Amino acid sequence: MTFVDIIAALSKGAAYTVGVTVACIATGFTVGLAVAVIRRLGWRFAAPLTNVYLAVFRGVPMLVLLFMVFFGLPSLGIQVPPLAAMMLSLGLISGAYLSEVFRGALNAVEPDEILAAQAMGLTRWQTLRCIELPQMLRASVPGMINEFTTVLKYSPFAYTVGIPEIMKQATALVSTTMRGVEIYLAVGLMYFSIYWMLVLGVWTIERCFRVPGLTHR
Amino acid sequence: MALLEVRHLKKTFGDRAVLDGISFDLEEGGIKAIMGPSGCGKSTLLRCINRLIEPTSGSILFRGQEVTGRDTDVRALRQMIGFVFQNYALYRHLCVLDNVTVGPRKLKRMSRREAEGKALHELQRLNVADLRHSFPSQLSGGQKQRVAIARALAMDPAVLFFDEPTSALDPVMAREVAAVINQLHSENVTVLCVTHDFELARSVADRIIFLRDGRIRAEDTADNLRNHYDDHEIRTFFGPGAAPV
Repeated sequence: MTFVDIIAALSKGAAYTVGVTVACIATGFTVGLAVAVIRRLGWRFAAPLTNVYLAVFRGVPMLVLLFMVFFGLPSLGIQVPPLAAMMLSLGLISGAYLSEVFRGALNAVEPDEILAAQAMGLTRWQTLRCIELPQMLRASVPGMINEFTTVLKYSPFAYTVGIPEIMKQATALVSTTMRGVEIYLAVGLMYFSIYWMLVLGVWTIERCFRVPGLTHR
Repeated sequence: MALLEVRHLKKTFGDRAVLDGISFDLEEGGIKAIMGPSGCGKSTLLRCINRLIEPTSGSILFRGQEVTGRDTDVRALRQMIGFVFQNYALYRHLCVLDNVTVGPRKLKRMSRREAEGKALHELQRLNVADLRHSFPSQLSGGQKQRVAIARALAMDPAVLFFDEPTSALDPVMAREVAAVINQLHSENVTVLCVTHDFELARSVADRIIFLRDGRIRAEDTADNLRNHYDDHEIRTFFGPGAAPV
């Protein structure tokens, strides 16, 4: 079995790794954005909920949350499919961290711009949507890349709930070929390639929306 | 009837009365400047009139309508008052054209084409139409101030408020802004201008309101304030030697 054969065998799992990563990033981005917006709008009734969410999902290890969702909830009669379990654990953890990235970026919006929008007559929501969020998303790119990379690196946990991603393919391959060095080297290369595609994707989007004087590299 | 009638306006922060019974009128097409030492309540007064800060008591009549009540449509009031800030407050992520169209599109429900037509008209009026695709970080202070004025004018406001429009500008650019305000005056635009710059106030305003410790100490023409008052505070602030004329 050549190195190319190993890559070809592992690539069956690459699609699952990418799928899990994208699903968890989408969950994290949506939830993180929603939490950041709710906190920014200062809705008092939501503050305890968002505080509890942030404390729980930043304080409990990923694997514990995944097992609680995948193995714990069925005992309460709730069956959770493997991908959904990943989204409810890794996705929501990512959302908690991303909401903090977004909070920092929102705080970087000039207060005078918000005041000017209100003085013009824009509603709080219009101000958030037209002035604050576009600036926030641009300022969040470095933090988002970090968080997306973390999601990719945690995606092998999907193996523990039966998703046949790269690590599961590799473990099966090692057990039949006993060629651990080459196989795990190939696994590392594949993760590195996915990481670069992810970063290039974000950079491409960032470049499309770059504004002089607002975003720097 | 005056466009704006302010009566006995008070604003307190804790025990401190920042505005303590302010009363004045602003006529349609008139320009008044509000001057006074730092912390005397000038900017708070502007912000109380357009309800960015809630006044504690008193009355503000805008075209005869009371606008301090709880049932006042604050957003409609703000759309009638163009506000130009000290440090321009242009939206950094939007180009000049988008900075000027955001109000007409979001508030007046204009189509993009209509709003851009209106924005280009205002930018041409202020001689900055060629900068329409530039971003705020690419503009000089004077250009930013002109764009901020165009943004306010694009909403067809009944009155323009300027909050220290020249404090961040060098003398040449400050004169440019004065020329712009005079141009607006000739076009019958009503202006209320808070400033520290006596030269600006003298060159643009019909009358100057002198504010100190939250109270109006005098309201008169620039020359009268400079030459015909015996009051020590007024002489210190406006008298010969206080600022170059």
